[in-house]
Amino acid sequence: MQLAINIIVLAAIYALIACGYVMIYRVSRVLNLAHGELMMFCSYLLLTTASMFGGHPVVAIVAALVLSLLVGAFVYVFLMRRMTGEMVLAAVLTTIALGVLIRGIAILFWSAQQQYPITRLGFSNMTFALPGGGRISLFAALLIATTALVYGALFLFLRFGRWGIRMRAAGQNPLLAAQRGVSLHAVYALTWSLATLTGALAGILISLDSGLDATMVTIGLKAFPAALVGGLDSLAGALLGALIIAFAEVMMIHYVDPLLSDVVPFLVLIAMLVVRPWGLFGTKEELDRV
Amino acid sequence: MSRVPPRTSGYFRTGYGQDFRLIETRWRRVSAALFSLALLVFPFLVGGYYLDLANQVFLASIGALSLMLLTGYAGQISLGHAGLLAAGAFTVGILFKEWNAPFWIALPAAAFVGAMLGVVFGLPSLRLRGLYLAISTLALHFVVVYVGGEYQTERGDYTGIIIDAPSLFGYSIVSPRLWYFVLLFFAAAALFICINLLRSRTGRAWRALRSNETVAAALGIGVAWNKLLAFVISSAMTAVAGALFAYYRGFVSVEAFSLFLTIQYVAMIIIGGMGYLLGAVLGAVFVTLLPYAIEAIMSALPGAQAYAGIIFAVNYAAFGLVMILFLVFEPLGLVGIWHRLQNYFQQWPFKNRPLAGSK
Amino acid sequence: MRMKIAVAAMAVAIAGSASAQDAYVVGITSALTGPPASTYAPAMEALRIYIDRVNTNGGINGKKVNLVLLDDSAEPSKAAANMKRLTTQDEAILLINASLSSTYAPTIGEAKRASIPLLFAGGVCPNEVYPPADPLQFCTTAYAATFDSRGALTFVKETAKGEVTLGLAAMAIPLSRGEMEFAQKIAPEFGFKVAGLEVIPPPTPDYTPFATKLKDAGANWVFSWAPWVTQVRTFEALRRLDWKNDYLTWAHLEAEGELQRLKDQKLFVIGANSLYQDNLPIHQEIREAVKKAGAKYPAEQMSEGWIAGMVIEAALKGAGWPATPAKVQESMQALKVDLKGLRGGPIEWTKDNHFRTKQFYRVYRWDDAKKAIVVAKDWYSFDVK
Repeated sequence: MQLAINIIVLAAIYALIACGYVMIYRVSRVLNLAHGELMMFCSYLLLTTASMFGGHPVVAIVAALVLSLLVGAFVYVFLMRRMTGEMVLAAVLTTIALGVLIRGIAILFWSAQQQYPITRLGFSNMTFALPGGGRISLFAALLIATTALVYGALFLFLRFGRWGIRMRAAGQNPLLAAQRGVSLHAVYALTWSLATLTGALAGILISLDSGLDATMVTIGLKAFPAALVGGLDSLAGALLGALIIAFAEVMMIHYVDPLLSDVVPFLVLIAMLVVRPWGLFGTKEELDRV
Repeated sequence: MSRVPPRTSGYFRTGYGQDFRLIETRWRRVSAALFSLALLVFPFLVGGYYLDLANQVFLASIGALSLMLLTGYAGQISLGHAGLLAAGAFTVGILFKEWNAPFWIALPAAAFVGAMLGVVFGLPSLRLRGLYLAISTLALHFVVVYVGGEYQTERGDYTGIIIDAPSLFGYSIVSPRLWYFVLLFFAAAALFICINLLRSRTGRAWRALRSNETVAAALGIGVAWNKLLAFVISSAMTAVAGALFAYYRGFVSVEAFSLFLTIQYVAMIIIGGMGYLLGAVLGAVFVTLLPYAIEAIMSALPGAQAYAGIIFAVNYAAFGLVMILFLVFEPLGLVGIWHRLQNYFQQWPFKNRPLAGSK
Repeated sequence: MRMKIAVAAMAVAIAGSASAQDAYVVGITSALTGPPASTYAPAMEALRIYIDRVNTNGGINGKKVNLVLLDDSAEPSKAAANMKRLTTQDEAILLINASLSSTYAPTIGEAKRASIPLLFAGGVCPNEVYPPADPLQFCTTAYAATFDSRGALTFVKETAKGEVTLGLAAMAIPLSRGEMEFAQKIAPEFGFKVAGLEVIPPPTPDYTPFATKLKDAGANWVFSWAPWVTQVRTFEALRRLDWKNDYLTWAHLEAEGELQRLKDQKLFVIGANSLYQDNLPIHQEIREAVKKAGAKYPAEQMSEGWIAGMVIEAALKGAGWPATPAKVQESMQALKVDLKGLRGGPIEWTKDNHFRTKQFYRVYRWDDAKKAIVVAKDWYSFDVK
């Protein structure tokens, strides 16, 4: 039972991070390799807002989330906008460079020390027992709930919301969408905002659960295979991919060798690329046959 | 035409013999000779610190050249560069540790291992392109680094495998000056190999592959064969760079081969200018020296000691910022700037003015 | 503040002129930034404060000490470049490495080439400082491979009630793994059963799966020797799983603050440095100095650097003036420094032993009744042969 809980918690973490990758890729065909760094940056923002709004933790969290929306839009408007239309590789490299830049800035503003936002906010991470013998901590449970909420909201938004439909249109055929009056820049900015928001949610919940330091970036990178295995432009795929990878990882830790758990996401990734490069639910892209 | 004006722009070959010449004009010959002379005299003029910097630049340029071949010319995006460097370094480390292999066995062995890994890294390229290829190379990088780490732990080399200085013809290569010449030799050799490779049939096939794979296939160029060849040659060269790196530092440790190292090499070819060998070299120089330049600037500021703690962060931030600036404003990189500079002086006193209404 | 600018200006001036120097030049390469910085940066800050104070009080043998502090971000190539600069351009007579173990090999190589004594302060002590010691390498760092495990398991044996099933948690870095594997090997000597050894990769979002394994294997004591983040997160994960047993772990810099944060009576930290809640005179001295200097890090994290400062002062004093690397080395080979309670005993170096002749340990834990940190086991030592 505890194993199952561990798998679901890990899957929730990966899924929440992965949906950021998926959203940006689906709408603008850009692979945002700075997602981990943005996640970390927004979690550090929570530290700052927690100090600013000392006695009101909820306000601090909301402020951090609003800031993360702004950061996402900011990144698009001032940087990625200039990259639209360029080679895909150039855009990806720009995100890599952005990630490096953010890492430097994060260390400049907040030192490299281990931080505990939970104490700053005054919360305490209770655990409670579940039927079946397992235990789960408060924030891990919140994380699962948040992931479910976010995915549900995204599904509904993309299906029925006006801007959601515009986002899908821009993703399917930008030229046609632009000619139909969809403002591509606005759509892309919105996408980046939402992706950064989900990343911030993931980062904040992880740091509230277990602490915050610079290794969060690597966690962001480990979630990337989840997005790819499911299909880089499919949200449902991201969920499934996260489950698969979390399952493989926890099983590996428990039954085989905990050390391998670091490499497992990438091994699954390689396996997927060999067998079905566009993922489980992704749209088939132009690929060669040998 | 034997009397070519010293500084020209144009095409002056009139015979097949002249086709092979690397340097056509007298001006270029003279400046090449002067530059070589400067390179040879340099180590006798400066102290150990600058010699070390120069050595690092040479090491970096070998790796940058091989990445430029793969990505800049053959068009195969690879994010697994650090893994290949690690493979070369670990080959040397393992051979030295287990069998005390000498320099002239370990280095070719590293090249061989690099080539074999190149096949592995290159196999996905037969099916994937662009982004997915980059991702597969990234995944392979993690696997290689993991294997290296496992070896280190299994053998108890927690702080890294220490390697003796290599000895060539009985001389132990230890002093920075000697290393300078050895590395200069290897870097020059790498550069000439690349130049000649690109002037050959393989190079032309790669350029065709990069431009348009379908057309290349239609022209009868073996796409799979040339892709794998690009990976193999580039990886072999990268592994040699990693091996030299191991010998130069005197030790091998998996921590040195992180993802950031790959990003640095990719930055080298981007900042240098994709598609030009000169770009690889310029990029190597720039990226290697940037942290030292920043440190020098910061230590000249008042209150230097207080900043010592944040230099790393400033380096990171500056590196990311510079890379972004080049990607956004100067896609052709340093080579683009160099060409513009050359044009300015070549066309002086005429200026390059864009047509009215074109910007 | 003015002293800092003066020292900095002096450093710049002296670094600029590579010739005649009227001060002791001590060169340091340290991981001031980069992932492991939180371990080494406070130590170097403490060292800087200590040396600044020494300089204000007239210096050593009438001469000031010039600390050339270079950052290597835990990167071996940068460390090597730093060493080259320190030995050639700055003409240091004593070198210090306060960085990750991956930087050791290049620094040792350079120090050997230039025949300058090399002190490790903050990073794990390399094998060459234990007897028989390499003439040029010295170490003041608190933690020590193999001795720490012995010290820890000794404590467990004395404190445990009944059969011990020992769980071990390591981080997936060679050092931590090696130490935990050693602990696993010697556990039978103490009569312990080993429940399992968990090797945890650093960037793990959730430590619960690893803790689950330890709990399911029935561990009633867990010992962890790894960077603090692994130690504390494994502990928290175990507690979240409702595992109520005892956890022993190494007292890194953060330990004191963390003991107060976690307030868990069954969390024991074993260390070689005394904690500041003891409030010895030396602790007060450090607190005041830190406050005056306006340091970035809390005083509780300054022990390591302060001890290094004391040792360096003694070594340079013994070397006299004018000092050469050989004289400093000679001074260090017969050094005894009273640490005034920062550790269980003095640091004593001989020609063969550059680590210390006795390694002292103390174990602390949090006491709910007193609402303070108390000593669980007072100083006990192991001879280093």
